[in-house]
Amino acid sequence: MKHALHTTGIGVSLGGTPVLHSVDVAFEASRWTSVVGPNGAGKSTLLKVLAGLLPHSGQVQLMDRPLGQWRGRERARCLAWLGQGEQGADDLSVWDVAMLGRLPHQPWLVPPSHADRVAVEQALRATQAWDWRERPLGALSGGERQRVLLARLLAVDADVLLMDEPLANLDPPHQADWLLLVRELVAQGKTVVSVLHEIGMALHADQMVVMAQGRVVHQGACADPVTHLALEDVFDHRIAIHPLGDQWVALPR
Amino acid sequence: MLIGRWLSAVALLCWAGALHAAGLQVTDDRGVVVSLPQSPQRIVSLLPSLTETVCELGQCHRLVGVDRYSNHPASVRALPKAGGGIDPNIEAIVALKPDVVLMATSSRGVQRLEALGLKVLAMEPKSSADAQRVMGKLGQLLEVPDAQRIWRAIDAGVMAAAQSLPPGARSLRVYYEVSAGGYAAGTQSFIGELMARLGVQNIVTPDLGPFPRINPEYVVRANPDLIMIGARNVHGMAQRPGWSGMRALREQRVCVFTAEESDVLVRPGPRMAEAARVMARCISEKGLR
Amino acid sequence: MSGARHSLWLACALLVAAAAVLLLGAGVGSTGFDSVLNAHNDPVAWQILWDIRLPRTLGAWVAGGLLGLAGAVAQGLFRNPLADPYLLGSASGAALGVALALALFGTSPFATQWLVRLGLTSAAFAGAVLGVVLTLALAKGVQHTLRLLLAGVIVGVVLGAGRDLVTIASPDTLQAMQGFMLGSTGFVGWAACGVMAAMLLVAVLVAASLGRVLDGLALGESTALSLGLPLGAVRGVLVAVLALATGAAVAQTGLIAFVGLASPHLVRSIVKTTHARLLVLSALMGGLLLMAADVLARWIIAPQELPVGVLTAVLGGSYLLWLMHRRRRPGSAL
Repeated sequence: MKHALHTTGIGVSLGGTPVLHSVDVAFEASRWTSVVGPNGAGKSTLLKVLAGLLPHSGQVQLMDRPLGQWRGRERARCLAWLGQGEQGADDLSVWDVAMLGRLPHQPWLVPPSHADRVAVEQALRATQAWDWRERPLGALSGGERQRVLLARLLAVDADVLLMDEPLANLDPPHQADWLLLVRELVAQGKTVVSVLHEIGMALHADQMVVMAQGRVVHQGACADPVTHLALEDVFDHRIAIHPLGDQWVALPR
Repeated sequence: MLIGRWLSAVALLCWAGALHAAGLQVTDDRGVVVSLPQSPQRIVSLLPSLTETVCELGQCHRLVGVDRYSNHPASVRALPKAGGGIDPNIEAIVALKPDVVLMATSSRGVQRLEALGLKVLAMEPKSSADAQRVMGKLGQLLEVPDAQRIWRAIDAGVMAAAQSLPPGARSLRVYYEVSAGGYAAGTQSFIGELMARLGVQNIVTPDLGPFPRINPEYVVRANPDLIMIGARNVHGMAQRPGWSGMRALREQRVCVFTAEESDVLVRPGPRMAEAARVMARCISEKGLR
Repeated sequence: MSGARHSLWLACALLVAAAAVLLLGAGVGSTGFDSVLNAHNDPVAWQILWDIRLPRTLGAWVAGGLLGLAGAVAQGLFRNPLADPYLLGSASGAALGVALALALFGTSPFATQWLVRLGLTSAAFAGAVLGVVLTLALAKGVQHTLRLLLAGVIVGVVLGAGRDLVTIASPDTLQAMQGFMLGSTGFVGWAACGVMAAMLLVAVLVAASLGRVLDGLALGESTALSLGLPLGAVRGVLVAVLALATGAAVAQTGLIAFVGLASPHLVRSIVKTTHARLLVLSALMGGLLLMAADVLARWIIAPQELPVGVLTAVLGGSYLLWLMHRRRRPGSAL
C-alpha cells in the first residue's frame, strides 16, 4: 500500500463560504508529510476532513478503504488527530489526559488494562511529561500542556498521526525533541502528517504539500528544488529558502 | 299518654345511642367520607374562615392549633401555629394529636397528613351557598344542633344592611379589587353575591368567573361609580394608566379597607353580616353624594 | 493515583457528614428533642420520628443528590461551569408538567399514594425533557456557550409563562402551584423517598458509566469524535439522565435553586478528578447540602420553619464566595 491517506475532489464549505476546492492529495505510508501555506489556505480544514471530522464532498480513503466505511472506534485506533489550541480538561491530571488517548482501545465499563498503562507511560516519557503525571492540566504552562496533549496523541498508538500546529508554545529544545520523535515514529512504520507554520521545521519532512486559497498548489519531496520554488511562490516571494548544512531554512527577503 | 311519651323518649334515646355507637360520618368537599368514633375534641384548623365558624358554633375550646393567618376571635391567637395554608408544618400538626384537621382542598399537605393516618376534612367555600353548606357540615361534625342559626343571623344582618341603604344605591356600579394583581370579585363569588344582596351592580360580568383577573383598561371603560379596594393593594392605584382620569378617583369615591376590614370581607365565614355592614357603610359614605 | 485517593477520602467524609446530619435531623423539629426521648412510650412521638423526620431528612438527601448529579451532568455535557438544571429549561419544564398534571387530574381521592407520586414524577420528567430539548433546539446544538445559556433562559421564561397560563386557566391549582413553587422538603414521606432513591441509583449508575466520554468531551468535540466516541448517542442518554434527575427531584420537593449549580463547584474546589468520580461526589455533596439546609430550616426558628431554598443559597453561596475571595490571587482559574 503506497498511500496511507488519499483524497479525491474534496470540497468543504463552512458557513456558506467555500474553504476547500476540489482537493486531490495523497500521503505516502510510513512517511512524514508536512502541509504548509499562508493563513487561510485551508490546512486545518484539510486535516479535519482527513480525520473524518467535517462534512465534505468528494472522497477520502484511509488505507485504501473509503473513510465512511470505517466504524468509529476502528478508525480511531488507526488514525489519531491532534487539534490546534485545545482548551478544557483543566481538572484532569496529566496521567488522566494521556489515558484519554486509550479510549479507542477500551471497551465500555472496562478499567484500563496493563497494555493501556504501558502505552500511557511510554507516551508520557517520550514527551518528557512523566515526572508531573499527577499534576492537573490547568496548572501547567503552555508548552508543558502542549507536550501532554502530544502524549495523548501518542498513547493512541495509531498508524496514522495527524497533527495541527504541534509545536505551539514549545521552546527550541522541545521542538528538537519533537523532531526526533517524529523521525522515530516514521522509522516504526507510522505515517505522520503535520500542519506547521514554522517552515524551517516543515522542510525537515520527507514530503510537502503546499496549499493556497483552498487548493493544493504543489505536492513533492522536501529536498526537491521545485518544492522550494512553489513554497516561495505561494508566499509571494517574501521568503527565500537557503540551504544550511544538511537542512534548509526559510528567511524573510 | 304518659306511656306513649315515655316510649318515644326511650326510642329517641336508643336511636341517639345507636347513632353515637356507630360514630360520626362527614363528607368533605372532595367527596371523601371521614368516619370518626365520636365528635372530635381536638381540632386543628388551617383556614381562617373555618376557624371562625368553629368558634362561632361555641366550640373554640376544641381548637388545639390554627394556621398563622387565623386571628379571630382573639383567643385563637394564643394557640400553637401550624404553618400556613399552602405550607402547613406537618410535624407540628401531628404533634398536636388532632382528631381531625380542617383545611382547604387546594392545600398540598392533605395527602401527606392522610398518609400519616390523620383524618382530614378539606373544605373551601367560594360562594355563599358553599359557606352555608360548610357551616352545616361543621355543625354536623361538632354535633352542635341548629348550626343554621348562624346562617339565619347572617341573612338577617345582610338584609338589615341592605335595607339601611337608600334607594339610590341600586343604581351604583361598583368594582371591588380583592387582591393585588387586579383580581376582582366576580358575581359568583361570595363577595359578589353580597354586593348583589346589597343591591348594587357589579361591573364584572358573570361570564368572567368568581375571581377573574381584570385588565385595568376594562375598569376604565366600565367607569364604575365606586371602587372598593384593600389598603394592602391601594398603593400605585392612581398611577395605573387612565385611572387618574376616572370619575371615581377624581371625586374620591374610593373605599380603602383597613387590614381588619379586609379580613372580614375576604373570609366566607360567620362574620359575613359584619362584612355586609362594612360594605354598606362604604356605599353610603362614599358612593352616594 | 492521588486523584483517586483524594476522591475516596472526600466520598467517605461526605457520607460520614451525611450520617451525622441525618441523626441531627431526627432530633430537630417543631417538637424538638422531646420526640426522640419519648419515642419509646409515645406512639405520636414515634410517628414524628419515624414517619415524618426520618423520611423527610433522607428525602432531602436523595433530592439533593439528584440535583447535584444533574448539575454535574449539565456542566460536563455542555462544558460550561455555569450550567445548571435551572438554566437549561429542565426545571421550568418540570414545573409546567406538574402544573398540567394538577390541572388535569386535580387532587383525586381515587389515586393511590404510589400512583400519585409516580404520576407527578412522570409529568415532571416529561416536562423536564421537553424543556431541555427546546433549549437545545433553540441553541442549535451545544457549541456556542452564550447561545446555549440564552436559549436556556428564554425557554425557562416561556415555559414559566405557560405554567402561569395553566394556573390562571384553572384557578383551583393556583394555591397548589404556589405551594409547589415554594420548594419544600416538608411533604416527603417514605413513598416519595423510595421513588427518588430508585431514580438516583439509576441516574448515578448510567451517568458514571459514561464518565469517560465526558472526559473525552472535555478536550473538545472534535477530539472526542476523533477518539471514536459515539457523541450523539451519549448526549441523548445524558440529556435523558439530566431530565430524569431534575424531574424526579422537582416533582417531590418543588423548585429549590442553587444545589445543582453549586455542588460540582464545591467538589472541584476540594478535589480535581475525572468525571465518573465527579458525578458521584457531586451527588453526595448535593445531598449533604440540601439535607443540612433542611435541618437548619427546621432548627433556626423552631417551632416554625424557614423556606429551604433560602438556606441552600446561603450555605452554598457563602462557601463559594469565600472560595472566590480566598482565590483572588493570581494564577487561578476561579
